[in-house]
Amino acid sequence: MAPTEDQYAKASTEAATDFAQTFYPALQSNRAIIASFYSNPPSTILFNGNAVADGNAVQDIFVNQMPPTHYEVQSVDCQIINKQFPSTTTGGPPRTKDMSILVVVGGYVRFGESRDLPQRGFSETFVLIPNPSNDTGKGRHKRDWLIQTQNFRLVV
Amino acid sequence: MKRSRASRGASRARSGTSDRGGIRKRGAPTKVDRDGDLAMGAGADAIRGQKPRGGQGRSALSGSRTQTLDRTMDVIQKALSGSSGAQANIRQGGRGPGLEQVIVSGWKQSKAASNRDGGVESLVTFLEKKLTAPDSKAGTRARISKSRVEGDALIASIRPELLERMLQLNGFSFAGAPLIIEKYDQSSAALLDQPMSTQNGVAPSPADTKAKMTAILGRRYYQQAKLLDLSKLATDPDLVSMGIFGTTSTESKFFPALMKVWEMNFSNNAARREAVESVSLADNQLPNIALVTTLSQSFPDLKNLDLSNNNFKDAQAIIAWRWKFRKLQFLDLTGNPFCADPTFKDTMLKWYPELRTLNNTQVRTEEEIAAQKKTPIPVQAAQFRDESQIAENFIRAFFTGYDNNRAELVNGFYDNNSTFSLNVNTSAPRALQTEPAPWDPYIKKSRNLLKISHLPARMSRTYTGAEKIRELWTTLPQTRHPDVAAQPEQWLIECYPIPGLPDISGQSSTGVGGFLIMVHGKFQESNAGRVETRSFDRTFVLGPGGGIGGIRVINDVLCLRAFGGNEAWQLEPQAAAAQPAGAPVTIPAATAGGPPGYGLPAPGKTDTQVQQEQLVMQLSAKTMMTFHYSELALSGNSWNMDAALKNFAELKSQGTLPADAFLPGATA
Repeated sequence: MAPTEDQYAKASTEAATDFAQTFYPALQSNRAIIASFYSNPPSTILFNGNAVADGNAVQDIFVNQMPPTHYEVQSVDCQIINKQFPSTTTGGPPRTKDMSILVVVGGYVRFGESRDLPQRGFSETFVLIPNPSNDTGKGRHKRDWLIQTQNFRLVV
Repeated sequence: MKRSRASRGASRARSGTSDRGGIRKRGAPTKVDRDGDLAMGAGADAIRGQKPRGGQGRSALSGSRTQTLDRTMDVIQKALSGSSGAQANIRQGGRGPGLEQVIVSGWKQSKAASNRDGGVESLVTFLEKKLTAPDSKAGTRARISKSRVEGDALIASIRPELLERMLQLNGFSFAGAPLIIEKYDQSSAALLDQPMSTQNGVAPSPADTKAKMTAILGRRYYQQAKLLDLSKLATDPDLVSMGIFGTTSTESKFFPALMKVWEMNFSNNAARREAVESVSLADNQLPNIALVTTLSQSFPDLKNLDLSNNNFKDAQAIIAWRWKFRKLQFLDLTGNPFCADPTFKDTMLKWYPELRTLNNTQVRTEEEIAAQKKTPIPVQAAQFRDESQIAENFIRAFFTGYDNNRAELVNGFYDNNSTFSLNVNTSAPRALQTEPAPWDPYIKKSRNLLKISHLPARMSRTYTGAEKIRELWTTLPQTRHPDVAAQPEQWLIECYPIPGLPDISGQSSTGVGGFLIMVHGKFQESNAGRVETRSFDRTFVLGPGGGIGGIRVINDVLCLRAFGGNEAWQLEPQAAAAQPAGAPVTIPAATAGGPPGYGLPAPGKTDTQVQQEQLVMQLSAKTMMTFHYSELALSGNSWNMDAALKNFAELKSQGTLPADAFLPGATA
């Protein structure tokens, strides 16, 4: 039986808020797990117009080059893009876990430890797609959805 | 869609002229109209009937202090250090019978200031909670009997027994900002409303006081230098003759009243802010800034401030300006005991991020200022990977349509499965010194998932299908976006293809490709007779469909926030490329295997080389050609991007480009 609209809305909004509540803390203080948020291979990843190859490259940049970074997420919204994202459609009945989700996050970021440093407004768009290995994998960072594409921009 | 470089040049030119700084009138001072009726703004005409005496105060300004003035100084000092005596309050909305009033400021810098009510309600709640004695029983919570907002200040009336406790809250942190709490001394307007005794005992009318103050301001204002010289006030013969320094209460009220008169001479805030860049409060023997604190309300954008030869002992003496004057570049505190404090320089550097000159010594270079604003992730030009101008045409049509005919726009691009939602970020960082517009027209539709947690509300704030979207859009305020072509610097638009979209024809089981478009910009909106400017971020997913140009909007997410300007996406000036502490992150080019640091400044690399590399990256992003072929195309066309693109289009249509000219995975 196909999921109801309620089930889709619940699953998608929870996926979006869970993502925002785990991804930004990882960027801030658990950089060693950053790569685990990304699908492989991902589509486009952009930071301020700089293209980054994949999740490993993002993690490498944050681990090796970024100063301490404080994020405050202030707004999150999401919409379902495709209820049956192609790579995971099994041919069986539709499931909420097969959808791809557009997530748009707004907030501010502070680069550096001092609280006196400026708060820079950012807007970031993600497309989350189902984690294809989720049915079998029981890894430490089990995720239902992974980043297919990401675009970060400082806007203030 | 490319950002304009013109604005960057302009801003550099501006900062280039302003950093000479300095308040002192170096060389010959600019003499102003001796009648004193210089134009302080349109409102100055209104008081032109009064012909003030010209020039008489001049000698007092430039003359050295003499022993005979000491007594007057003592009087001022006394006035400044103590609070004024209680006086009958004849103003409307004043304190109630038997109540004390305090003035609370500093909260406009708190996070709560972006609340819909400006943070007033949470501030009052916060104060009441703090006022409540820890040992008091439940239900006997302290109350603020009355409150009102005046500018940056909250005037709160409380029962007298709470006064002491309230004043102890001075310096407490409220939502990230330190509060300043002082006893209210019936400032500004009260002085103008009330007769003031003079030396000869004749009470002048408020209008007379106002006219005299206007004349004094006129004499002390140097229009061309944009300098307001408020030094040595105690020796100003006009002020002395007005009896300002006759009693403590008039002294305490004088400065706020003077600021009020200054503000009244301007018809609008913009003119008022532009009129003055520099203020001198030198030689006033102030022990702290309690009485002159309103200066920061009248001149929030001040660049140069001379506080020399006062009597500030420590940072606490000027703490009320900790979060004020965010654009201050020049500060002179010489002749104050505070300067001997070992932390003096570091504290001032910390307080004022734009400060360049402290006590006439350079403390920050332009490069250091620029470096502070740099992000560890360098700001690059927008990535715009369109095909056949599909996304570009959509964007042009969209914002014109959204401003002019939303119903038609919906018909053109939205179908029964299109989804729209909007969310409001009420606490987003914003451009300095802007009042955020109220969010009433949007807040009940906002689907900010951090605030809206109940599933039914989340669902009802999602608008699926052209009909619902049209219906919603007719209820949203009319908007005016800047023209994309005419004002490209106001926009940042990025776009690239994405796979895996739903196929409405149902033919493809592997999904179809389309575009992800992210737009950042601003718009104006007419709201109850006021024109408000807001910033927005809008993300679209476009797929093939039955709309104009064979496309459909699959998703449309609009995020609204307070106006935040467009500086964030302006490319960093090459001049600031000299890297001080903290080199920026070098992001290896993912697309074409360019060497690390390609397109970024590096030792031994010329600016021309960096610019050429950036052009290569841009061309590669647009054409999906490798860096090598992109470089060939550009160098063969004198590094002219348009010519290179034209050349590329010709070669591509002729089919003469080899497969290895393109990036792996790109379809030629």
